[in-house]
Amino acid sequence: MSKKTILQAIRRNKPQSTMQSAQEDNYRSPSWSQEECKSLFIKNLQLQGGEIGTLAELQTQPVDFTREDLRAEYANAPLEKLNRLESVLIEGNFGVAENGAIWLEDKDLPQRIIPFITQQLIIRLHPSAIVATMHDAYRKINLTGTGYGVFISGPSKTADIEQCLVYGAHGAVKLTVIL
Amino acid sequence: MNSTHAENAAQFLADEPRANWHDETLWIVRQKRDKAAANIPEWERLRQQASAIKDEVLANLDVYLEQFEAAAIKNGATVFWAADAAEFNQIMLNIIRRHKAKNIVKSKSMLTEECGLNRFLQSQGVEVVDTDLGERIIQFRHEAPSHIVLPAIHLKRQEIGETFHEKLGTEAGNSDPTYLTRAARKHLREKFLAAEIAITGVNFAVAETGSVVVCTNEGNADMGVQSAPVQIHCMGLEKILPRQTDLGVFTRLLARNATGQAVTSYTSHYMQPKPEGAMYIVIVDNGRSARLANPKYIQSLKCIRCGGCMNTCPVYRRSGGHSYGYVIPGPIGSILAPHTHHYPDLPFASSLCGSCSNVCPVKIEIHEQLYHWRQDLMQHRQTSWLKRMAMKATGIALSGNRRYNTLGAVARWAVAHLPRKLLYLPVNTWGVGRELPQAPQQSFKAWYKTNNPSKKQTS
Ligand code: SF4
Repeated sequence: MSKKTILQAIRRNKPQSTMQSAQEDNYRSPSWSQEECKSLFIKNLQLQGGEIGTLAELQTQPVDFTREDLRAEYANAPLEKLNRLESVLIEGNFGVAENGAIWLEDKDLPQRIIPFITQQLIIRLHPSAIVATMHDAYRKINLTGTGYGVFISGPSKTADIEQCLVYGAHGAVKLTVIL
Repeated sequence: MNSTHAENAAQFLADEPRANWHDETLWIVRQKRDKAAANIPEWERLRQQASAIKDEVLANLDVYLEQFEAAAIKNGATVFWAADAAEFNQIMLNIIRRHKAKNIVKSKSMLTEECGLNRFLQSQGVEVVDTDLGERIIQFRHEAPSHIVLPAIHLKRQEIGETFHEKLGTEAGNSDPTYLTRAARKHLREKFLAAEIAITGVNFAVAETGSVVVCTNEGNADMGVQSAPVQIHCMGLEKILPRQTDLGVFTRLLARNATGQAVTSYTSHYMQPKPEGAMYIVIVDNGRSARLANPKYIQSLKCIRCGGCMNTCPVYRRSGGHSYGYVIPGPIGSILAPHTHHYPDLPFASSLCGSCSNVCPVKIEIHEQLYHWRQDLMQHRQTSWLKRMAMKATGIALSGNRRYNTLGAVARWAVAHLPRKLLYLPVNTWGVGRELPQAPQQSFKAWYKTNNPSKKQTS
């Protein structure tokens, strides 16, 4: 293994600057009110192709993973079964106003692949759980003890064919958020 | 690659409508980027911060790498170190053999391109399926990516339609992007579900937590990683960030600067393997630690591969990514390429306008490094004889007042009076594809002497 040689080369070559840690970012996010955060979140989510909906309006009957029993049932489900999922409902941890992203992590997901393999992803989010920026988001996240976490800000999309935007490249074709 | 950037560019430009489309399309991406950046009042401050964090990383790289490795191991990952491409490829092959894997998917990773992983594995009888739509398209066509974020930007929809008709059995003549994307979705779903190993690149690796962060719009990194029992994340050793909170700075910059989106659809943080799964992280040097020693070019290690410098570059937009011949095209690729052995012309494929440096989210002074490279290559006689002689002659002409005046007069006369054939002789490489301007009646100096309001005589 080359670990030793690589680290030696780095020690030999790295700039001998006295520079210490980059100033701990004391950036303060804009002081948007809860209402402002909510409306910005909605605007940015829609810009990324996400939709805002209500449970009543839903065209489908999602598999409700906010329910403990269904989470348990799907915890060991084989891929073929997951691949047949039409729509799922997941409880989001918090949202980010500046870009419409929502944080999900292991504890919210019976299996990590579920928000991707389903055709439609529905996330329920408490309207008060929206922070202003990604700075706030990363101050909030505690990854220790978690194996996996993801920000989702829209349906899966691609523009690899002549820059034409198409939703549903590999992951969910549709993202609906219920506030 | 044996042909020069200029020769390749000429070929690209021969198809004028396509070249114009390429130019305009990338400029639209650049404009989207401008809009997204303007939306963030503290944009410049973020760039400053990102640059400072990267400086901190490079000055303490050994410490952060070891911290990262320790944290990743604690999380349950296995970490490998590779000094060069050959060792990296061998490590990958060993992992694949250990798990007896036949079905392997890979999401975008410029590092694996740099190391020629696919080609190597193929020579060992191992097939890897690229799952990013653009990468799958060019994999079908046996081409290299022409852009680091938009790998198939050189292709038109009709060409993709034909490729899919041949490879996936889509309708002949149908090149509707939605139709083609759906066909690829179906085809790649099967690959994901059958995958035993998923390979990804890495956007950021956090020393504090041992997590690796991957950003995609398609969700292909996660479809692979979460289907396959085994996940492998490949990273250049400069991808380290010290703290989780640093991700706040970089995730705000990356997508906005790349495509003008506020953030990618998915920003995934991989910490631990799945239950009964395995997680590997391979840290690759391949020339990076050597670059640390060179104060002139060390800044290039700060690059986060957003592609912004390509979208804005007037040369890239009008010559296409393939014209560079190196795996990373455009301004930053022309710095990263190993010039002294190959690619000695790349630093000259630039107008030095500085637009790249203006958009770079980590504030690399890209155009200044290109300029340094030109000097180094001149000194090492890596440039063409004609160019060296021309430079020498220009140097002589510009270094004496009288010589300069006389030559100026000769040039003005020549451009006005000599026949076209003589002016555009093959030694005038500049004149290939360019028109000489009309020669003015007098030099600026002469004009100034007669028109200077204070009538002060200057020599
Ligand atoms: S050099 Fe700067 S602008 Fe170019 S790809 Fe790297 S980070 Fe982006």
